[in-house]
Amino acid sequence: MKQKTYFNLLITVVVICLIFTIAHLIYAIKAYEHCSIIYFIAKELW
Amino acid sequence: MRKNNLLKQLLTIAFVIIFFISFNLSIYALFTMRLANNFSDTSQAKMIDVGMYLPHNEESDLATIESSLKLKDNLPVLDGAAALVPVYASIIHNVYPKGCVTYDGGAFSDDNFYGENFAKDSKMQYKNTVRGYQAIVDGETDILFCATPSAEQKAYAEEKGVELVYVPVGLEGFVFFVNEKNPVENLTTQQVRDIYAGKYTNWSQVGGPNRVINPVTRLEGSGSQSAMNAFMGETKIAPKSPLAIAGGSIGFSFRYYMDGIVGNQDVKMLSLNGVYPSAENIQNGTYPIIAKFYAIYRADNENENIHILIDWLLSEEGQTLIEDTGYVRIK
Repeated sequence: MKQKTYFNLLITVVVICLIFTIAHLIYAIKAYEHCSIIYFIAKELW
Repeated sequence: MRKNNLLKQLLTIAFVIIFFISFNLSIYALFTMRLANNFSDTSQAKMIDVGMYLPHNEESDLATIESSLKLKDNLPVLDGAAALVPVYASIIHNVYPKGCVTYDGGAFSDDNFYGENFAKDSKMQYKNTVRGYQAIVDGETDILFCATPSAEQKAYAEEKGVELVYVPVGLEGFVFFVNEKNPVENLTTQQVRDIYAGKYTNWSQVGGPNRVINPVTRLEGSGSQSAMNAFMGETKIAPKSPLAIAGGSIGFSFRYYMDGIVGNQDVKMLSLNGVYPSAENIQNGTYPIIAKFYAIYRADNENENIHILIDWLLSEEGQTLIEDTGYVRIK
């Protein structure tokens, strides 16, 4: 693979992964504001 | 050489993808999986399933007494906090005539945040604490059943030039709870304050295992958060470390909401200063954090049935009803 093609591919993969990760974190923060804390604590891993 | 280079490039890309997948899976397992948000009907049901507490319905889980008070007209509209739905629904059940509550089902959505499927003219409504205070100030509700108001809620009433009257009608224990598998069973009130103030950050500092403490708080303005702020007094709740999310949590609520309404077997209430928050220990005053709950109405509301109803609620019959719903009488 040419270096330029490789870097383009790498950047595309990183950007896509970042978008999914940010979306996940935004969802989690929004859901946390409205979640049931009893359920949150009940589902805790021990 | 070329093949080696290609392999390196592919491995790098694979590593990046695996890194992100692992990161997201970890966040999911530690955090996202546990978030039952209130936009889904199942989690709303965990907050309270209003359909289980509909007055004049044989299948409802409401207290029934022989009431000497029967209102016929000018019925005050009752609303309140999630935890107090059984109380004011039981009042309607025993004192109001049949047909005064119209409920169209329990579908929850973004537009119907608390499952407010009560008709506009229904004498029972359910807006919960934050919006319930707005409703009483705005004149949409006649009597609101709630815990102590927050500073913002008092300010909202003042801003609108509305005087609210707070009549304490019952008692409830303010409780702290942890996961059922957390070995800690008891804390002192000072230890709890120190946990929320950030002084203690590991369960081992209060007799538990070596695990970070995650002190969970509620939405500002909610009844339990206002009670927590009152419990903390001058001590400020410290911001917690982001790492605390992976720790063992401690949360707070009201006893009957925890025990009688939600009844989740995977959490347990803690004893405070060696006293368990049972109804008996709240009634006899040995449990250290007892909160009053109030019937709240606008001072300028001219519906005389408000006073008749509240006087009845403070009578032997009314207090028996409070007790029969699972709460603790104030008289």
